[in-house]
Amino acid sequence: MKVKDTSTSSKIMNVIIYTVMVLSLLACLLPFVYMLALSLSTPQAIIQRKVSFWPVGWDTQAYRQIFTYPNFFRAYGNTLFYTIFGTFIALVMTILFAYPLSKTCLRGHKALTKMVVISMYFAGGMIPNYLLVSALNLTGTRLAMLIPFAINQFNLIILVNFFKALPIEIEEAALIDGLGYFRILPRIILPLSTAAIATIGLYYAVFFWNDWFNGLIYLNTRQYPVMLFLRNIVNGTMVLGNSSSASTDTASLSISVKSAVIITSTLPIIILYPFLQKYFVKGLTVGSIKG
Amino acid sequence: MRRKVDAAIGKTPFSKHFQRFWQLYVMLILPVAYFIIFKYLPMFGNVLAFRRFRPGMSLYGTEWVGFRYFKMFLGDTAFWQAFRNTITLSLLNLALTFPLPIIFAVLLNEVQHWAFKKIVQTVSYMPRFISTVVVIAIMGELFSPSSGLINNLRSTFGLGPIYFMNEPEYFRPLYIFSGAWQYTGWTAIIYLASISGINSELYEAAEIDGANRFQQVFSVTLPSILPTIMVMLILEVGRLLSLGFEKILLMYTPSNSAVSDIIDTLVYRVGLANQNYSYATAIGLFSGIIGVFLVAGANALSKRLTGDGIY
Amino acid sequence: MKKALVIVLVALMAFSAFASPVAEVKEEGPLKFSMYYSDNATLPFKESWLAVQEATKSVNAEIQWEIIPIADYSTKVSLALNTQTNAPDVILYQTTTGENASLALNGAIVPISDYSEWTPCWNAMVEKYGMEDDVELLKLQDGKRYYLPSLTDVPFYDGGLILREDFLKAEGFDAPKTFDDLYAILKAYKAKHPESYPLTVLAGPRVLYRMTMPSFGLSIGKNGSGGSRVLSWNYDEMKYFPAAISEEFKAYLAFFGKLYAEGLLDPEMAEPIDGSIWSRKMATGAAIATWAYYDQIGGVTAASTIEGFKLQMYPALAGPAGAHHQQKNRTGSGIMFPAATAKRADFEQIVRAVDKMFFSEENSKLWCIGVEGTTYTMDGDKIVYADNIKKAAEGIYKYMQLEYGCGSDVTQMVWVNAREMTKYDENYAQINKAVEAMGNVIQYIPPTPKFDDMEAEEAAMLMTPLADKLEVWCNAFLTGKKSLDKDWNAYVAEMKGLQIEKYCDLYNTNL
Repeated sequence: MKVKDTSTSSKIMNVIIYTVMVLSLLACLLPFVYMLALSLSTPQAIIQRKVSFWPVGWDTQAYRQIFTYPNFFRAYGNTLFYTIFGTFIALVMTILFAYPLSKTCLRGHKALTKMVVISMYFAGGMIPNYLLVSALNLTGTRLAMLIPFAINQFNLIILVNFFKALPIEIEEAALIDGLGYFRILPRIILPLSTAAIATIGLYYAVFFWNDWFNGLIYLNTRQYPVMLFLRNIVNGTMVLGNSSSASTDTASLSISVKSAVIITSTLPIIILYPFLQKYFVKGLTVGSIKG
Repeated sequence: MRRKVDAAIGKTPFSKHFQRFWQLYVMLILPVAYFIIFKYLPMFGNVLAFRRFRPGMSLYGTEWVGFRYFKMFLGDTAFWQAFRNTITLSLLNLALTFPLPIIFAVLLNEVQHWAFKKIVQTVSYMPRFISTVVVIAIMGELFSPSSGLINNLRSTFGLGPIYFMNEPEYFRPLYIFSGAWQYTGWTAIIYLASISGINSELYEAAEIDGANRFQQVFSVTLPSILPTIMVMLILEVGRLLSLGFEKILLMYTPSNSAVSDIIDTLVYRVGLANQNYSYATAIGLFSGIIGVFLVAGANALSKRLTGDGIY
Repeated sequence: MKKALVIVLVALMAFSAFASPVAEVKEEGPLKFSMYYSDNATLPFKESWLAVQEATKSVNAEIQWEIIPIADYSTKVSLALNTQTNAPDVILYQTTTGENASLALNGAIVPISDYSEWTPCWNAMVEKYGMEDDVELLKLQDGKRYYLPSLTDVPFYDGGLILREDFLKAEGFDAPKTFDDLYAILKAYKAKHPESYPLTVLAGPRVLYRMTMPSFGLSIGKNGSGGSRVLSWNYDEMKYFPAAISEEFKAYLAFFGKLYAEGLLDPEMAEPIDGSIWSRKMATGAAIATWAYYDQIGGVTAASTIEGFKLQMYPALAGPAGAHHQQKNRTGSGIMFPAATAKRADFEQIVRAVDKMFFSEENSKLWCIGVEGTTYTMDGDKIVYADNIKKAAEGIYKYMQLEYGCGSDVTQMVWVNAREMTKYDENYAQINKAVEAMGNVIQYIPPTPKFDDMEAEEAAMLMTPLADKLEVWCNAFLTGKKSLDKDWNAYVAEMKGLQIEKYCDLYNTNL
């Protein structure tokens, strides 16, 4: 690292740097703190505009309320299902494609690469995609959330580049030992690729966790993921709370309930990603753009 | 080493080649089938733009109608408004959000306190993982006229509430800044990696020349990461038109539609919601073709400047 | 690797189990079918509702309810009908005006009039209330009718201007007769409570528009009658005119724009105000006037802590075109069968079951007043509601909706005026009598043109941008972002550029 510089210009610079950094830190965190504060405040405090970054009145009613909605649990379970199986299928498919694609000696390698690249240039639009999924009779089934998104070309290219960068000697030694590629891939290549796989695995998981639009157009209401549940609350097509008691509290309670849904639906991703962070920074920089 | 092996294999007859590599070819079966079905069939599905769709019949339409739908949308002011909105929002978005990760990365690199640097980094990636629905929901609460933080702040200064999420003039700022909030930290990773690859001798030489830290940023850091900046810029230009459709659909209200209606939301409304499938496909195809030109142009530019294409 | 492949295959097989399509036909056991239900945020659907349970039981069916938020309903219905792959067997709350006409003519919907021997209950109701002519109007160009509409013997005034009567009395105002009377009342309230917005709206401006526009001689927008969105019916000349660019509309905007500019109209009106916020505004005195339904008065009153709080519904206000309310026909949205349902082996049973479930004498009573002995008892030929219902703070009507699923316009298909009146108080009956005495307050809904499928497609395409533009400009004029004096001509030019006149001709030539 550089030698410590104690000049005035350096001090000014430090002030600027730390100010900017602290501000960006706050900008990233405060919205969540605000949501947390809202979700734990009493409805009255929210309506009287008293809540900022600390709960006023400390009330867990919103959380207790959402745990009484069967629809919320079903949506949450659906999202878990889509994320776990979606990520699994996507990883299997992407690995199955990336590994052969990293072997430039294969016949048709060029054509296959072209096939991938062309599909990045030019994709079928929203309507053709929708019509295809429905022609395959996938609409209204959970598979509609999984199968059409099995391979993302960017993730594929990251993995291909990663595989290409692996030392070829180990593989050749294994081939000489009489192992076929079916065994080499899981036993030798995958253990060497945990960083890259964790990275694209995280990308896929985040995609499936956050998806709502495909749920809206492809699924029936019982299969809706939690993000679509949240969207329906946000745009007011669905009202939470017991609307049969037309009390004035329901309106204000709905704000804290909304915040509680935001918190509970975001938490798993926020908790998951710091553990994978060491992998994905490495994975992203290794595989990015042009590996 | 690898070259040599490949070259040797390349000359072997196919039967022998296949005998050695058949397992790799077997692996390809599923993914290639997937690509053909889910990437290429929809691509050909674009012929629907020239054919008439009839409910319950073929997804490729039933009869040729030529450029009927193209003529229709080219004469449709709603299309041109969406087109203008797409271009405007894309360019504004690029101009305002492109420099942010560079600045952020350069400044973060200058932080000498290791633990603090780590914390800032970890926290700044976080928004990237948040669903657009959650981002919009949080914005909705922050900017709510009746209970949101921002309007609470305004009311303490005696100002009236503003309906940020509904006023057309706030749509673009909100879209762009929420995007910056989500992606600045994330995109900065690439620049940080690039900065960490700079030879430290360059800084030492600059220091001997009497450059202070501020001057070093301009004389060493920025010039060194310029190629990365160029590549990123080209990439961004290539996907200029692919705005966050889902986010805009969530932010779309009738009253801000004059600025928030982009080509993708128009396709959604005209096609899926109002069931003019062929018409919407024609619009989608048109913008898809512009997209191809942008990507191809960016790629060619990249080849000329850096000697290497992006794809 | 083999192991991994086996795992993949097993996993795929497990998925395909999830993927198995909707209920297969079985010979024995209850009849199984799926049904789309349009869910309203103010009345969330419950499968446990008494009416739902009993009606289902009466036809020995097992129904898979597909509960869809109303905002997504038309999109989901359109997707289902267009592709037919994920279509439900039955769709509630549909008509064949607008886009559905082209779907029907393209064969996506069962022409239910061809199967009239399977709908004996519906036929009997049509005959009973003498609605043969009304039903005849619903036939499309090919002479077929594609849905079973809901039936109303006499349309009634179930919603309108709702005002705080206690304020009127305290300030010495008479009941408002004209829009100018209303203006004076709002103005007086604003003077007393400067922080209030005296007139608020429920569920976005569409309720306000559809209930007030007829007094100005038009009916446009998302809920405009007739489904053309930008055209209205000229009741004298019996044809459509481009109302969105008419002087009538300009006068309408001028009036409500004035309310907005003077802080008399809730600025949150453009957003979909949900029921609970609306109810809070009314209950706390942040607003004193609204256009809404009579059955909502009870809930708001129960929630209010204001001394002497009293809401009253008033007959339609007189505007430039006289005093009119939202247009109504004796037929309403009803039940539709996607073409795919006709391919089921038990199609006949499904049609018969649906017919009985919604239109039989017993079940039409069930959807309205519930089960005898549970929700009501008979005292001679008078209906007496159970005590808990009579005492409910929200009022009988609303309480029965929320608790039993009775009286929802999605599922109740037969509306008999005399029976409906039993759910309301004396006050309501008097308002309705007053409205009836005024004569022709509730006009008929203009006839739907009979397009062939090409014309239907063209009309649908012309409509989308016109309706979008109207919505944007209407909002801008109301909120003063655009000036009626300066920008009106630009707006008219824009609508003409979008061929509103051609669109109007298309309607008039196909009547």
